[in-house]
Amino acid sequence: MNAIEINNLTKIFQPKKQSKVIALDELSLSIESGIIYGLLGPNGAGKTTLIKILLGIAFPTVGDAKLLGENIGNYKIREKVGYLPENHKFPSFLTGEGVMKYFARLSGNMNKNINSEIDKLLSLVKMDKWKKTKVKKYSKGMMQRLGLAQSLINDPEIIFLDEPTDGVDPIGRKEIRDLLIELKNKGKTIFINSHLLSEVELVSDRIAILNKGKLIKEGTVEEITTSKQSYLFDVEPDLPEELLTGDLMQFKFNKNNNGLYSAVIIDIPQLNKAIDLLRKNNINIKEIRTQKSSLEDKFISLIKEVENKN
Amino acid sequence: MRNIYEMTKYTLKEAFSRKIFLVFFGVSSFILILFIIFFLFSNINSMTSMVKMNGKENIDLVAKIIEGIKAIIVAPLFGIGLFLSVFSASSFIPNLLEKGSVELFLSKPVSRRQIIWGKFWGGTIVVFVNVAFLIIGVWLLIGLKFGVWDLSFLTTIFTITFTFGVLYGLIILVGILTQSSLLAMMITYLIFFILSPVLASRDKLELLIHNKIVNWFIDGLYYLIPKTSEMATYTVNLAIGKYNGIELQPFLSSFLFMILTLYIGIIIFNKKDY
Repeated sequence: MNAIEINNLTKIFQPKKQSKVIALDELSLSIESGIIYGLLGPNGAGKTTLIKILLGIAFPTVGDAKLLGENIGNYKIREKVGYLPENHKFPSFLTGEGVMKYFARLSGNMNKNINSEIDKLLSLVKMDKWKKTKVKKYSKGMMQRLGLAQSLINDPEIIFLDEPTDGVDPIGRKEIRDLLIELKNKGKTIFINSHLLSEVELVSDRIAILNKGKLIKEGTVEEITTSKQSYLFDVEPDLPEELLTGDLMQFKFNKNNNGLYSAVIIDIPQLNKAIDLLRKNNINIKEIRTQKSSLEDKFISLIKEVENKN
Repeated sequence: MRNIYEMTKYTLKEAFSRKIFLVFFGVSSFILILFIIFFLFSNINSMTSMVKMNGKENIDLVAKIIEGIKAIIVAPLFGIGLFLSVFSASSFIPNLLEKGSVELFLSKPVSRRQIIWGKFWGGTIVVFVNVAFLIIGVWLLIGLKFGVWDLSFLTTIFTITFTFGVLYGLIILVGILTQSSLLAMMITYLIFFILSPVLASRDKLELLIHNKIVNWFIDGLYYLIPKTSEMATYTVNLAIGKYNGIELQPFLSSFLFMILTLYIGIIIFNKKDY
């Protein structure tokens, strides 16, 4: 069973006296259990709207979705879900411990040993020293850590995190990443919405890129960042000019700053043909690999591509 | 029920974190202390014993003293107590619906209906506790001092709390619609202090206005909005033991108003995106 099933989800906002805004446009996704799933997109892409719909905070205009096989309209399914909203505001009159206790009860955690569970989670996010302090005195990073602990208080099967490392220092971000991986290893499904592409790239198993409510790319980090038609060749000696402008011209061999040659090759027979040509010309091949771009580069090029099409 | 209970508990905590309810509690305690001092050191006993030769007059005098004490407690409690309670409770819903807060609540396994009922009961219980503290305190002091244990005085706890509940239903509806505590407060005060007292004397108004449609409109408005003015009068009358002339209609129509505002609020809340 998939942890999250999204079918043809559309959300249209129509503010008063303004033209309608399509926040989600016929979005369909299937997210399997036990993985970290990253949702990326520029501002206004519909990322937060999607999470809000899945959690019953907003309602879809068309389409439906399921969490753990249950329709999102059934609020009881949220007993198995944790959520860290972006820019969350905890009741300022509560202490960190009070926040945890209150949201534990509200999440359906009626465990009598709740205090020890709270202590464990607060120490996991390094907030145990501050548990008796009122949250109004917390910094942004502390609020974020408490928010993360709060999202885990009901031992959820799916955890939605909206900008989880926002306001957290680099060491804290690393700790959060390690925690997410630990949770994944325990079989939890984690759905991350973040602007920090490098963070998402480091932890996510699969990624979806949204733009203007539409899904423009979905797959593993490897699939998204690897260009199947672009290869890197490490050869010696350097390719002679007559070869580059002659037999190899069809492959657009081009030397980069690292001394490697990139080439555009559309399929395996073409790759074999390029290798044969290099060997025929006494060129030693030390390494061939598919060319990868960073998630950030890929993200920007994909968004630009879509913008240009429109 | 568990979810409503949890939301109620939360609202109680939220209410007691507000200084205004603590002030309410402090003022009530201060009033009770003043009465204790007054009863301990005043010469009420000598006043009443002076007229003991004529038993009837003595009873009348004691009754008048007790009546006076009850009236000076209940009348301001209804006006000022409810004013402060409305002031404090008006921000409960806008605070809940604030960005960053509403997402936390709505993402929990709690229905939106349960959230509103929890907010309603939490706010109402806190007012009940505050009012009960003062009324029961005064009732005990009067009973201990004069040996008069008039239970009807205690019913004012319920009429004052009920009046708050009716106004709170309106606060919740306006809060959901506008997310503005100021507007919720203003509309409630408008009904409490202006519309209800004016409409309570609509007979006099209708003598001045000779247009049937306008008079029907005034009548309709009278039956629609909560009758806080009549409820204030009846509360004071109940406190001093005057039961004649107390009608159920203002309570029933106000109760219907409360149910209506709460249900409209819940329906709108159930459909809103946050």
